[in-house]
Amino acid sequence: MDELDLLKKDWNKDKAEYKNFSDKDLYPMLHRKSSSIVKTLFYISIAELIFWILINTIPYFVSDDYKAKLDSIYDNDVFMVSLTVLSYLIIILFIYLLYKSHKAISVIDDAKTLMRKILNTRKVIKWYVIYNLVMAFVSMIIGTFYGINHDPELSSHVASFSRMQMFSFSAFMVIFIGIFVLIIWLFYRLLYGILLKRLNKNYNELRKLEV
Amino acid sequence: MDKELEHSFIEQMQKHQNIVHKVCRLYTNNQDAHNDLFQEITIQLWKAYPKFRGDSKFSTWMYRVGLNTAITLYRKSKRRIKTEAFDALQYKIKSTEYDDTEEQQLKLLYDAVHQLNDIEKALVFLYLEDKDYREISATLGISEVNARVKMNRVKKKLRTILNP
Repeated sequence: MDELDLLKKDWNKDKAEYKNFSDKDLYPMLHRKSSSIVKTLFYISIAELIFWILINTIPYFVSDDYKAKLDSIYDNDVFMVSLTVLSYLIIILFIYLLYKSHKAISVIDDAKTLMRKILNTRKVIKWYVIYNLVMAFVSMIIGTFYGINHDPELSSHVASFSRMQMFSFSAFMVIFIGIFVLIIWLFYRLLYGILLKRLNKNYNELRKLEV
Repeated sequence: MDKELEHSFIEQMQKHQNIVHKVCRLYTNNQDAHNDLFQEITIQLWKAYPKFRGDSKFSTWMYRVGLNTAITLYRKSKRRIKTEAFDALQYKIKSTEYDDTEEQQLKLLYDAVHQLNDIEKALVFLYLEDKDYREISATLGISEVNARVKMNRVKKKLRTILNP
């Protein structure tokens, strides 16, 4: 006889092996908080949104100097204003995509679809983080060049650089920004790696079957 | 949610809670973890209950939600202790000392099933619950042919675990 058939015979014996939960046990269960991975992912995505919005807006409200500088730029630069509007539109787009992907997750889907939808949500967050990292990288470079071109003190400083000094300055900037981006990227790998390790493993197991 | 809905849900749970217990049995190793998972599956069932329409049986529904929670949604409790490897060792020593009685073989079998991965356990579970390949494939989201192929591999794997 097949091993599993032996197991099946035993499995379906009606044994009172499990503690039967009574109504009294079951009612409170309905009102307890879930600790599902979707919930954790949801909180993380909200935290991501808020974190990056704060990073982008706090300097404006905290530093008067920065605010004055930005205001003067915005007053006469249509390009910068439209860029800012665009960045807010992108954030709204991400919020919409996140909302949509979270809404799509349903526990009554089949296992593979459910996993795919959860991983989709994670993908949206991933792109949001990549978008912010790229923006941070680009704005740091633009900021540096803008500073060199518009700040008389800094530009005279840079003008007096020898070629070697200029090279080290650029190299330092690139390395500094690179390390900054790398650290944030590693942090995300770790965060989602731990959270979704099991899910990824199971999803790949199911996908492997279809190859 | 209104009381009536709550009441009908509890009634269904009373009738079919054994299915949830069986899922917990396969995916956990101790009573604490068992109760933890039972709790989470109950919450997920309850949250989805308003979407449940009479067109499918509640029990059919439980298989899907139960397995989805165990495989995907549930975050393993820290309390869970890994004991299966140790138990397997013990049983193997015993099995050489005693006759291969059915009881002994069953113990070994349950232990072997515990060593399977999450997806393989799901297949075994549905098989033990007498689900046909159509339902197995619909629950897991794979084709019927692949469900069959995988099932055969699982049987083979179990045999290897039992007779290394």
